[in-house]
Amino acid sequence: MFGFEKKYDNPELIATINETRDRWFTFLQKLEERMTEMCAAAVPELKSVFNQDTDPYKRAHGHMLMGLLGQLSQMRTKANQVREEKINGLLFSGEAMIPGIITKAGSKYHSLLHSFRMDCIDRHQVFEEKLHAAIEQLQQAAGEQDLETAYQEQLLAFEKIKDSFNCRQCGGDISIPKMFFIATYVSCSFCHTQNTFMPSTEAQMVLHNARSLAEQRTAHLLRNFNETHPKDPGLYRKYLRAMFDEWNKIVPDMANENEKFYERMLKDMEIGHY
Amino acid sequence: MSENEKKRALTYVEKLKEKALQQKNYGGEVKKEDAGMDARDCPNCGAGRAFRHGLTACAYCGFVFMEIKLTDGIHIKKGNNS
Amino acid sequence: MSENPLLAPIHGISLEDYSAACAKLGSGLSEQDIATALGVELPVWQEVNLLWPERMKQDETFHIVTLFGQYFGQADQHPKFNGLKANVSAEGADNTTKIKTDKAFYDELEVARQVAYDYGVDGAQWVVDTYGISLGDFQIAASNWNAELHREIAADFEGYNKKQAAYRAKYEKLFSEAQGGNVADDIEF
Repeated sequence: MFGFEKKYDNPELIATINETRDRWFTFLQKLEERMTEMCAAAVPELKSVFNQDTDPYKRAHGHMLMGLLGQLSQMRTKANQVREEKINGLLFSGEAMIPGIITKAGSKYHSLLHSFRMDCIDRHQVFEEKLHAAIEQLQQAAGEQDLETAYQEQLLAFEKIKDSFNCRQCGGDISIPKMFFIATYVSCSFCHTQNTFMPSTEAQMVLHNARSLAEQRTAHLLRNFNETHPKDPGLYRKYLRAMFDEWNKIVPDMANENEKFYERMLKDMEIGHY
Repeated sequence: MSENEKKRALTYVEKLKEKALQQKNYGGEVKKEDAGMDARDCPNCGAGRAFRHGLTACAYCGFVFMEIKLTDGIHIKKGNNS
Repeated sequence: MSENPLLAPIHGISLEDYSAACAKLGSGLSEQDIATALGVELPVWQEVNLLWPERMKQDETFHIVTLFGQYFGQADQHPKFNGLKANVSAEGADNTTKIKTDKAFYDELEVARQVAYDYGVDGAQWVVDTYGISLGDFQIAASNWNAELHREIAADFEGYNKKQAAYRAKYEKLFSEAQGGNVADDIEF
């Protein structure tokens, strides 16, 4: 019972471990090369589609981006399946095959399997990081929509049209008192008839994009917050207040509602992690 | 990487781009419309709708434009009930 | 809860009205159709359409959003929208009924729609083109199947995943073939 440790040798297993490790590395490298290839081809095309896309929601660009991210996710699934099947499969069958870890031979083979496992996990981690970088690269390829220019254009457009309307009842001139973003009743100063003013599609988009524009204007403050370690909640509050101030400036009619939302975000911050 | 393999990624990106630009978006194209002005007369007596009489009913014949009770909204307020 | 001020009607439009209106808006009705069905003019509807989402944003209990989802699913029964339908083909009408009554059909199309997006296809448009079902009706079905879906997952998680994976494989094949295959199809271990 003691001292009769049976000699155990399994060169076939060692060969399989080495071969599987090599194949796993090569496999992931091929996927990474293909990933790089796809991104290199896609980045200029994403930019060009973004610029050509006349849809205010940039949906052609959005769908193209999703189609590319879908392929990255295909590659991720492929790697996960191989890891499960080939790497974990070998670990499982290998462990079932070899002697217990407290024996000398067992200890050697367990340690071999252990380093095989760690090598494969580490390599997979590198793959995942590259995949993540590829996702970011695609997402940022087209850059941000220039909402500021679009907004400034709408301010000018409004100045041009605001005095060009007439009352549908008496024909008197109606000056639109401020920039409206939704259908709004305006009354004629001569006959007091309620007319309905319908803003242009592009003016309506200003409301739709107001928060994003405010976020673009205050992005530097959010960056300041994100760069602190540990996170400084004071900086986040500073960003949030500035962002809402900008938001209210763009769509003053929504300021009341925005402020209620701001209060809620502050409350969430207290309950949450900041 | 062989030329054939390179082509795979390129073909996918090209086809994707072509489709992205050609396909119809759900809900169709956003039609760009200019700002406009409209007014609604009372369909019952033809009178115009005056500001001081509110938005929900005709001040002259009582015709109901909207069977609702206005609350304090963005531009429309409680006071706009007829 | 009954006195929750966040649930008070906005310009006379209750959350039930608003939720049904949103469902119908997604089924191809115009804003003007919606306003008319609710008996209001466009400026009133557009304020309502801005202010209900604001209420949802302000409600930290998520009560309004939850109710919205429930009422959304009951849009077909809402008296103000009863019989008000956008133009659809006979086949589209049949499929629209089917997705609300046949869960397997819904399950499959939900996966198909997601896979479509993964291949750069507008999934909502694909469902309309292929089955004549509008996004609004699709979402009504989703809302109505939600509870049963949770029961199914709780009862047989593995079976559920297997079924979903089979649907996914079927549509990945369909959409990838239209694209000349996946970018990494030829890379094997």
